Amino acid sequence: MVGLPYDFMANPLGAVRLTFEKAMAAAEASGSDPANFDGKDWGVADLFRQFLFDNGGLSQVPVLNSTNFKRVQPNTLVRFRGMIQDMLGNELYVGVYKEGPNWRTNKFMDVSQFPMGSRPDMRVWERRLLYCVPVPGQNSWVEPSSEAVINCYRNGTSQQREKRQRDDNTATDPMELHVSDDEFQGSSSNKKLREGELPFESSKAQDFVSESACSSVSMVPTFDKDSLPCLVKIYDSPESDLKLNDVFEFVGVFTFDPELVVKDDTDEFSDLCDDVLANLPPSKVPRLHCLIHRKLAVHDFISNSPVMEVKPHLVKQIRESVLGHLTAVLGNDGLAAHFMLLHLLSRVNGRVDTLAVGKLSLNLTCFNKESVSVFGNQLTLAIMNLLPFTHRIPLTVDYLNSASLAPKKDYQLNRLVTGVLQLAEGSHLTIDETQLKAGTLNSVGVENARLLKNLMQLQKVEYDFKYYKMEMAADVQLLILSEGKSNILPADLVLPFQPSSVDSTEPVATEALEAWRWYLVTLRLLPNSIDPELQKVIEDDLVAARQADRTLSSQDFSRLLTMGRLMSLSYGETSLSLEHWQMVKELERLRRERLK
Amino acid sequence: MASDSSPANINGGPSSPDDSYSSPIGNTFSSPGDGTRRRRGRRPSASPAFATPPHPHSRFAASETTPTPSEATPTPSSGRRRRGSRRASVSTPIATPSSTDEAPPSSEGEGDDMDEAPPMFVWGTNISVQDVNAAILRFLRHFREHPSHTEGKYMRAIHRVLEIEGESLDVDAHDVFDYDSDLYTKMVRYPLEVLAIFDIVLMDMVSRINPLFEKHIQARIFNLKTSTSMRNLNPSDIEKMVSLKGMIIRCSSIIPEIREAVFRCLVCRHYSDPIVVDRGRINEPTTCGRPECLAKNSMTLIHNRCRFADKQIVRLQETPDDIPEGGTPHTVSLLMHDKLVDAGKPGDRVEVTGIYRAMSVRVGPTQRTTYIDCLHLKKTDKSRMQAEDPMEVENGSGRNEEDTLLGYEDKVAQLKELSKQPDIYDRLTRSLAPNIWELDDVKKGLLCQLFGGSALKLPSGASFRGDINILLVGDPGTSKSQLLQYIHKLSPRGIYTSGRGSSAVGLTAYVTKDPETGETVLESGALVLSDRGICCIDEFDKMSDNARSMLHEVMEQQTVSIAKAGIIASLNARTSVLACANPSGSRYNPRLSVIDNIHLPPTLLSRFDLIYLILDKADEQTDRRLAKHIVALHFENPESLEQDVLDLPTLTAYVSYARKHIHPKLSDEAAEELTRGYVEMRRRGNFPGSSKKVITATPRQIESLIRLGEALARIRFSEWVEKRDVMEAFRLLEVALQQSATDHSTGTIDMDLITTGVSASERMRRESLVSTTRNIIMEKMQLGGPSMRLLELLEELKKQSSCSEAHLNDLRNALATLASEGFLSVHGDSVKRI
Repeated sequence: MVGLPYDFMANPLGAVRLTFEKAMAAAEASGSDPANFDGKDWGVADLFRQFLFDNGGLSQVPVLNSTNFKRVQPNTLVRFRGMIQDMLGNELYVGVYKEGPNWRTNKFMDVSQFPMGSRPDMRVWERRLLYCVPVPGQNSWVEPSSEAVINCYRNGTSQQREKRQRDDNTATDPMELHVSDDEFQGSSSNKKLREGELPFESSKAQDFVSESACSSVSMVPTFDKDSLPCLVKIYDSPESDLKLNDVFEFVGVFTFDPELVVKDDTDEFSDLCDDVLANLPPSKVPRLHCLIHRKLAVHDFISNSPVMEVKPHLVKQIRESVLGHLTAVLGNDGLAAHFMLLHLLSRVNGRVDTLAVGKLSLNLTCFNKESVSVFGNQLTLAIMNLLPFTHRIPLTVDYLNSASLAPKKDYQLNRLVTGVLQLAEGSHLTIDETQLKAGTLNSVGVENARLLKNLMQLQKVEYDFKYYKMEMAADVQLLILSEGKSNILPADLVLPFQPSSVDSTEPVATEALEAWRWYLVTLRLLPNSIDPELQKVIEDDLVAARQADRTLSSQDFSRLLTMGRLMSLSYGETSLSLEHWQMVKELERLRRERLK
Repeated sequence: MASDSSPANINGGPSSPDDSYSSPIGNTFSSPGDGTRRRRGRRPSASPAFATPPHPHSRFAASETTPTPSEATPTPSSGRRRRGSRRASVSTPIATPSSTDEAPPSSEGEGDDMDEAPPMFVWGTNISVQDVNAAILRFLRHFREHPSHTEGKYMRAIHRVLEIEGESLDVDAHDVFDYDSDLYTKMVRYPLEVLAIFDIVLMDMVSRINPLFEKHIQARIFNLKTSTSMRNLNPSDIEKMVSLKGMIIRCSSIIPEIREAVFRCLVCRHYSDPIVVDRGRINEPTTCGRPECLAKNSMTLIHNRCRFADKQIVRLQETPDDIPEGGTPHTVSLLMHDKLVDAGKPGDRVEVTGIYRAMSVRVGPTQRTTYIDCLHLKKTDKSRMQAEDPMEVENGSGRNEEDTLLGYEDKVAQLKELSKQPDIYDRLTRSLAPNIWELDDVKKGLLCQLFGGSALKLPSGASFRGDINILLVGDPGTSKSQLLQYIHKLSPRGIYTSGRGSSAVGLTAYVTKDPETGETVLESGALVLSDRGICCIDEFDKMSDNARSMLHEVMEQQTVSIAKAGIIASLNARTSVLACANPSGSRYNPRLSVIDNIHLPPTLLSRFDLIYLILDKADEQTDRRLAKHIVALHFENPESLEQDVLDLPTLTAYVSYARKHIHPKLSDEAAEELTRGYVEMRRRGNFPGSSKKVITATPRQIESLIRLGEALARIRFSEWVEKRDVMEAFRLLEVALQQSATDHSTGTIDMDLITTGVSASERMRRESLVSTTRNIIMEKMQLGGPSMRLLELLEELKKQSSCSEAHLNDLRNALATLASEGFLSVHGDSVKRI
């Protein structure tokens, strides 16, 4: 990297400029027009891809978050991990313009580097605006790798002076960081969730985290609740690449220009320029001009993930320990632990028309006030520690009547206001129905109940666009805790919960916890198949079962097969074996016995 | 003060096309009928004053200097300058068309007198002003819709506009294209320039026809050949004419926009001449215009004497069907002027034609905001009830919007190709809900429903519906609901409701009061909403009686009547009904009739053309298939399951094309077959030597058969219903009937089962029971004698050979019949002869 005329980290725009000039020279030689670069990359992406991925530069790039974004230098390379919460449409900008005899570009910039008056020689290009937020429900142990954080601090101290200066210039008050939560509606809903939790539980969660995490990530500051949204500007990328609710890592140029702070204008035309952006001042919502983006799966969020191969014996070992942990958490109810494990591994792995294949929602019944406060909280805590994105909804009549579950388009702001159910792929949602009492639902409540039911059955959420509704596919693991079988939320699996002992769970070693996390997020993505012979056996089994019991429906079959697939996944195998099929049948038999 | 609305207009230099990028909103050029244009009407009288064709350069100069009050009189050149900002960017060349004005005002002299003038091109374009001017004139004069018409379509239109003193002339872009495709191309490519010329030409024509006509007439172009999707608008579309479809989501309040300003000198109270907006600016005069005064910086704006125009900013959003998966709808701003203000309300689906423009934003000089300067707005559905829709059956004439889509022809050719395939019927059947296995005949029925028969309206006023109604009855878990949802997705205008939830109000229209205005509003329910579509009703059996009674009317008369809050209205509900019902017990009881199983009134039942029983038979084969299907669903790539099926968009396109364009008629051969088959069907009911009369077919069935036949012909895109269609229709009907109308005690089809719920054999059994009972009572009991207990009577009855299987209930029924005859009386358990 020595000898390069630019520094990728501190001056990414230098690289952009150089490549542009090079490309221009080539274009001029061949006599083509600069306008042809519209929507095309002139080698910037390759350059950065090489730097970030091939040369391992990615880990040096600071991750933008609410604590450091005021200190990050503008026009430096940063990265941001988040979920696409809203799409703000396209923005036209002057892509290239002529400065004297030379063409200049404004790509990856908010303001041009050279003053440009009105020039006839300019071309208008287009970029997309995405409004991204940190993944909803992200647990506090999910942190980007620590070295990047350190890096950003180092960066911060060395350039302290300039940074101060910038802060002064912007005349933004430091309080804004705290104000920013009405900006990010998601956080308010997070808050709602948090308020719903019992106080002791959240404090315990903190304890637990500090306990488990202190060994490795002591540098990490406490995670700010007012997580940072980010306005990402995307260049040259097909529309279909980036979808709503996808989780991405964006690497790009962080820009901050105090001039861009929108002044209060009461101009009649503000309505036309409209700006969504007017509501998103850069002091609260940083801008990122994206150079490279990549889609993240859940396992990218497992920090320090041990790069492990899926070795059968290792997997088996971890499986046993996870199962042991779940059994302990569930008060020695081994059967429930088994089902819980399958549930935690489930994901939607295919959609056939309205059917979401692969989902396995679990309804644990026979909870009462006491047991829910003990086991319910233990369980929630355990899930929080195992999965990166978790949510908990305490279902009450009041909650149903008031909560905004579905995202809703606000045409005044021209923004999609998020709802509790706008979740990233692979999120886990616990719904505690034990607190639900008899009461009257208003129209909001009925709508919310329907939304939850649709999510359970179809894995789809209807987004409210006022004049019409749009269904968005979701992939959320749903766990319901209830006294009796929940009819509002019909789960795939209903299991009466029968704890036999109340022993407080002993603290878990960090290594074990990491291994479990790795196990859960990795194995669920494994492909799975079935060989024709076993397929025959299964078919025979199903036919026999149906001949014996006419009430078995296709849903029951579907559930059994999902369980079979998950069972073999839980052993790290990619093909269903007879042994695992038998286990599933046995589990199902035990479950049916309990139901009687 | 002077600058009224556009601080962003940085580059006030001579206009060039680039200029318009940064042209601020104040510059909305398309505004029709601003005051200055009105002035044009008077122009003929003034024309000598500005007729200076020999010096085009002086004209240049004149138009380059912005009008100032120092000009003593509003010279025509400044008047032209004023005529609205649309022209500002082309102000220079615009001057030229006036050379036509100077031509002797003979009506035939179009264009030829301009040959001497050197061709003039609008800066940066290939537009020769003269050529375009002449082309427009030719088009307006000579375009005829039909060669037989003596007068051109637009000449008539202009006269009409004059009569009603209108302000605009709607010009169908298709006409322009048909007449002069080159002009069309220019118009779309350089709308600002061409429209300006268009307006001038119009003005001249108007002034020739009626020199006293004061108003300015503006051309409004609509119905472009291609319509752009909002998503695909990109920088290359800027400054071009585009046509967009979408839904209005927000309207701003009306903004008064200054057009002409009048200033007064504070010193001598002299009023300046009206000053017109020039590129979004009003230039405040620096000195008083009166030669005697000439005070500097003394002019002040007099608001009351200024002229304002209405302006409105509207946001348009993509309609749901344009949004790709995983995206959010895009929006675009529209700028509306004058007449277009308040033409659309939030929630309206509209198609707008306008010029796509961009302007710089204050926040960052590099960014651009885009908007559409709206020229024409067409509501694609005026209200929900009288909507134009893709399933339009009767109205074959008139261009439908779909035709204007690019590549439509290709698409049609593709569909036609598809329709020629010999196995198209099977292929479509396969493509219908491919993941629901089996049920092929049900799917075929549903396919017929999708295509529909032709509605017929006789001159006498009688009408026959073309919609096919289908009822699915079956055990739970037999994917009825999935079928329904699938059809709902496929149908262009499908409504999905559940009988459990929908009250009478939900299904039909009802009246509400607007909480704000107190106005009474008709709101339509599912059936009206699905006019010309398919109304899918799940859990039909759970529907309230009230709602069901509404369905009677809907299913035969195809209207919904309401009489509420003083409003009596009959609304069209030309909808096919697809209903599914569960048996009243949890499972279908094959011993009972359909009616007993689903507890639906026979009157309603008979209105369904096809009634399918989807029974979950304890059959190992079906179970195995189910198991196989589900295993495949879980372990195979779901995509690979769907072999050789049409995708949903193609299927939808196929269906809507057929519904719109194919109107099959019965061929003679088919009619013969129909008669023969019907007679055959009826004859089947008459068993030789049996007194039992079974009706196997009713006239309703003929209608059903015709509809099915028409639908089957439509599937093949055939204009004639052929014999094979009729045969297939018979087969479908029989398959459906066999399942639902089989008299289980005799195994024959019995329409009475559907129409009355009681089969003929059952009726005969009951009759014999009554007569036997009568005989027994006659034998055993004396008139006025002691009463007899029911059970004893039953014993007696069972001794009779013919009634060995009689039940107590049967006996009760028989006794009730006899009691009504006055033959006996029943008190509790005892029977007494009277």
